[in-house]
Amino acid sequence: MTHADKAAEFNKNEAKVNWHDKALWYVREKRDKSAHGVIGWEHIRDVASGIKANVLSNLDNYLIEFEKNALNNGIKVHWASDAKEHNEIVSKILADNNAKKVVKSKSMLTEECHLNPHLEAQDIEVVDTDLGEFIVQIAKETPSHIVLPAIHKTKEEVDDLFQEHIGTKPSEGNPEYLTNEARKHLRNKFLNADAAITGVNFAIAETGGIVVCTNEGNADMGSHLAKVHIASMGIEKIIPKEEHLGIFLRLLARSATGQPITTYSSLFNKPAEGKEMHIVIVDNGRTEQLSREDFRASLHCIRCGACMNTCPIYRRSGGHSYDATIPGPIGSILSPGKDLTKHSSLPFASTLCGSCSNVCPVKINIHEQLYKWRQVIVKDVKQPIVKKSILKVAGGVLANRKLYNFSGRMARFMLKYAPRFIVYSKLNAWGKARDLPEVKGQNFDQWYKVKRKNNG
Amino acid sequence: MGREAILKSVKENKPTLIPLPMLDLNNFKEDINLLEEFKEKVKLVGGSLKELSSSETLENEIKKLYPNAKEIVDCSNQSTSLATVTISEGTNPKDLQNIDLAIIKGEFGVSENGSVWISENTFPIRVLPFITNDLVIILEKEKLCLHMHDAFSLISERERTFGVFISGPSKTADIEQCLVVGAQGAMSLSVFLF
Repeated sequence: MTHADKAAEFNKNEAKVNWHDKALWYVREKRDKSAHGVIGWEHIRDVASGIKANVLSNLDNYLIEFEKNALNNGIKVHWASDAKEHNEIVSKILADNNAKKVVKSKSMLTEECHLNPHLEAQDIEVVDTDLGEFIVQIAKETPSHIVLPAIHKTKEEVDDLFQEHIGTKPSEGNPEYLTNEARKHLRNKFLNADAAITGVNFAIAETGGIVVCTNEGNADMGSHLAKVHIASMGIEKIIPKEEHLGIFLRLLARSATGQPITTYSSLFNKPAEGKEMHIVIVDNGRTEQLSREDFRASLHCIRCGACMNTCPIYRRSGGHSYDATIPGPIGSILSPGKDLTKHSSLPFASTLCGSCSNVCPVKINIHEQLYKWRQVIVKDVKQPIVKKSILKVAGGVLANRKLYNFSGRMARFMLKYAPRFIVYSKLNAWGKARDLPEVKGQNFDQWYKVKRKNNG
Repeated sequence: MGREAILKSVKENKPTLIPLPMLDLNNFKEDINLLEEFKEKVKLVGGSLKELSSSETLENEIKKLYPNAKEIVDCSNQSTSLATVTISEGTNPKDLQNIDLAIIKGEFGVSENGSVWISENTFPIRVLPFITNDLVIILEKEKLCLHMHDAFSLISERERTFGVFISGPSKTADIEQCLVVGAQGAMSLSVFLF
């Protein structure tokens, strides 16, 4: 199914779509308010973007530096070329420690690698401990947003899920009650976990340390209680120096939710006495994306989700319509790099309005890259026959002045006098769910000429 | 396997070296009252804040705020008699599951976001500030910096083990975007300035 087909599914529940649209726009507004309150915000964005560009141009050396420093601090470092290797490494660490119960905090990388099903097949219990991720896990779904994983669920749906899975009482979707029940349930999981898996927000080459940011405190509850902490990171998470965290931590939460900083920004440099800490560095297609000059900057992404919150398409189509680990505008430039055929409809899921690029804290030219993917896709991937024929005809009309003027007159005539069932037939995508504007008798050219004549 | 393949692929695919840009701190100069800004931001992120007057003692004020706390760990070094539980490096982190209140000394606060830096030097078990039901951070009111750039320069010489910037109590808005304070970490955070 294409993005448009899946978006049509999501749009069947109009009230829900309207809520989704407004809820995300509200987050965008909070981001604006928060960002505008920072003096020098644009300078921070510029420098952040420049640091990320430097990182990509020197990534091999930074990775080596990071590894050396992490090893010196007693952290074990592993490298995985793809998802399979990543999952095998994690399995092996767990097996070596006889770990059967695992708590996980948010990590889009482990979603990308499909780690949960891999571990569950080996009889290992994996519990997602971020509340949003916990909700989608028990619903047997995937996150529909990278920062707000369960934004597609209503509170009543969460209520039903909790009744079924953790035995709560019916509460008509009371968020305080449900959150508190989840807290009790997850406490028990944290206290009995053998190992904790977390993501990595930033990895610092200069110190070999990592930073994990959460609002709930779940990454810290997991990693400090369990004997083993495994942190999985994509190669692009590297930043050169610790002082650069000052820049990225100022940008991240403000761009994501409008908070001035996440509740917890935890700096892990050494494992605690008697504990083990592992870092798995993963490629899984990133070096390939690095090779594509036009799309390289997509690796600057710090996963704040601002491009999703602002995107008029995302807000009205829902994260699942993208059928990809990372949805929304940034996902639509990352996913085609992994599987061009499967994700060929994603770069078209945009109005190219550029709002995503405007809010991106690391200044990725997202809408330009979407446009560039389109050029690649129409060459490499077979396009639907209707779209192809229409574009061919349109090309012919636009290239011929007389034909263009004639078509314009025809169109205006038809829109004015043709019966409704013809004008609003299936061929007219612009007439779906809305009325076209009233048609005037003249086109602009005619109107302008008449106007000039009258005014002398 | 992984390592060599990844490094080789990065080397082949990376662009020519782009220089590291410099941050110009002059862009962030602001003539503000650090204390007032800090107070405002602690409240914004859901924390509470109390500035001790000369007639108030830390002990009494904490008792007033948390009258029902029974299991109390005090790592603040302020010679209060509040502690009912003592912990050390050897304590099993899981034994802290019933702690009602932890009192920890903050090293400094950051005005731009209401966060406080606490590091392993000031509490012996890493999970303490997260697993405790309520958290009190004691902070000298002179120890405030303007923004995160200053914050990182303040901790640049530390012994690096574990440390965390904490901004308010744990929270979530994962159910229909309704903000609920008290997710998996501490249910409340109170900053006491003295």
